[in-house]
Amino acid sequence: MSSSSSDPEKLMAKADKLTKLSFTRWNADWKSATALYEQAAIAYKFRKDNVKAKDAFEKASKGQEMISSPWDAAKHMESAAALAKELGLWNEVSDFYRRASEFYRECGRSQPASDALAKGASALEDKAPEEAIKLYDDACVLLEDDGKEQMAFDLYRAAASLYVKLEKYSDAAAFHLRLGSAADKSNAVNSQCKAYLSAIIIYLYAHDFQQAQKCYNDCSEVQGFLNSEQNRCAMKLLAAYEEGDAEEIKRAAQSSTINHLDHVVIRLARKLPTGDLQAIKKVLPGGDGDDLDEDDLT
Amino acid sequence: MEDVVKLQKLSVKKMKGVSAEDMALRPDLVAALHHRIQSIPVPDGGSGEGGTAGQNGARTGIQFDSSAETLDEGYFQTSEESEAFRREYEMRRIKQDEGLDFISEGLDTLKNLAEDMSEELDRQVPLMDEIDRKVDKANSELRKTNVRLKETVNQFRSTRNFTVDIILICVILGIGAYLYNVLSQ
Repeated sequence: MSSSSSDPEKLMAKADKLTKLSFTRWNADWKSATALYEQAAIAYKFRKDNVKAKDAFEKASKGQEMISSPWDAAKHMESAAALAKELGLWNEVSDFYRRASEFYRECGRSQPASDALAKGASALEDKAPEEAIKLYDDACVLLEDDGKEQMAFDLYRAAASLYVKLEKYSDAAAFHLRLGSAADKSNAVNSQCKAYLSAIIIYLYAHDFQQAQKCYNDCSEVQGFLNSEQNRCAMKLLAAYEEGDAEEIKRAAQSSTINHLDHVVIRLARKLPTGDLQAIKKVLPGGDGDDLDEDDLT
Repeated sequence: MEDVVKLQKLSVKKMKGVSAEDMALRPDLVAALHHRIQSIPVPDGGSGEGGTAGQNGARTGIQFDSSAETLDEGYFQTSEESEAFRREYEMRRIKQDEGLDFISEGLDTLKNLAEDMSEELDRQVPLMDEIDRKVDKANSELRKTNVRLKETVNQFRSTRNFTVDIILICVILGIGAYLYNVLSQ
């Protein structure tokens, strides 16, 4: 017995025999098979044989699923996914983490489910950013549905940083606004204000001044934001943009309030102003002038 | 005292734009002034008056000699010392401002940290409640199990079962011994 317990190949073979249905075997014995798979997986991991360990974990997870213990199934799936990450099999990573998350959801535990998706997303950030974004989004949705948005703050920030890296600025700002509304529900005023300021800065960096103005007006509806340090900073920044004064913009962007935001956003703020300030100036008075004329006529 | 005399002389002189009543009043005013000046006690080195004498002594030292000779160019000229004093004051004020800016930045960081900590703690509160609930449940189940285990162990140790066990063991030993005897023959 001792020799077979330390020889993972033999364990795997035995377990496979137990699960394969044949003429003599009508019901697969998943219980003992799962135990053998688990032992084999640990032995492979000890030997640093990642491919076989990953397979063993996968089979162990299947076994746990068969004996209806989703929690253990999920745990094995996660181990398999971590090994897949080491091996660089990115689609498997995403697949495994998603399945692990499904199992956790079966147990009714949304927090570990979202954690599994988040782990998958951070593993895929460099190699498959689109997939990573989807995973982050699903993780956030999971927590939102369960009313546990407070745990999702870090996920929102990570997703927004990834969008910024992909240069999809409106999506990044949208994520910050989502953070803001989640913070609102959980009464986290400081995070909310920081999220709104981050969104405004991202819009300004993307050189979308109208959007930034609109965003600022929407956020001013919120009482908590109105009385905050971040509001003052946003006001200064937008006023500097309206005047088209580059020096003033730079000074407003160096203020200490901005240093408390996410470092991705700080980097964007340091690079302000982007593009042509004169174009903004041209846009602004044109719009204001038309409105005034309409009012004057009526 | 000489000035009062001068004032008296001036008051009698006829001036333009001064009405007749004012002219009549003036000598009286000068006399009153003279009287008031006289009534101020002068310290004579005597220790009787003490503090008030000292004050008055300072006052008599004051001379309102803002006459034409002293109000010349040199009077309002800033001297070297006052210039240096002003410069030092400005430097110190600038340094103070710098220090206060530094402190303000530090306080900003502290405020941010404190608010983040507060939010984090708010996040932890329901988790702690959850843990508390689960631990209480586990605790009560453990106690129930312990009680049942104690009952079972006690039952096991009761003499009735014990005696039955002893009898059965003796029977088995007897049978074993008999077989051994039979086989060794």
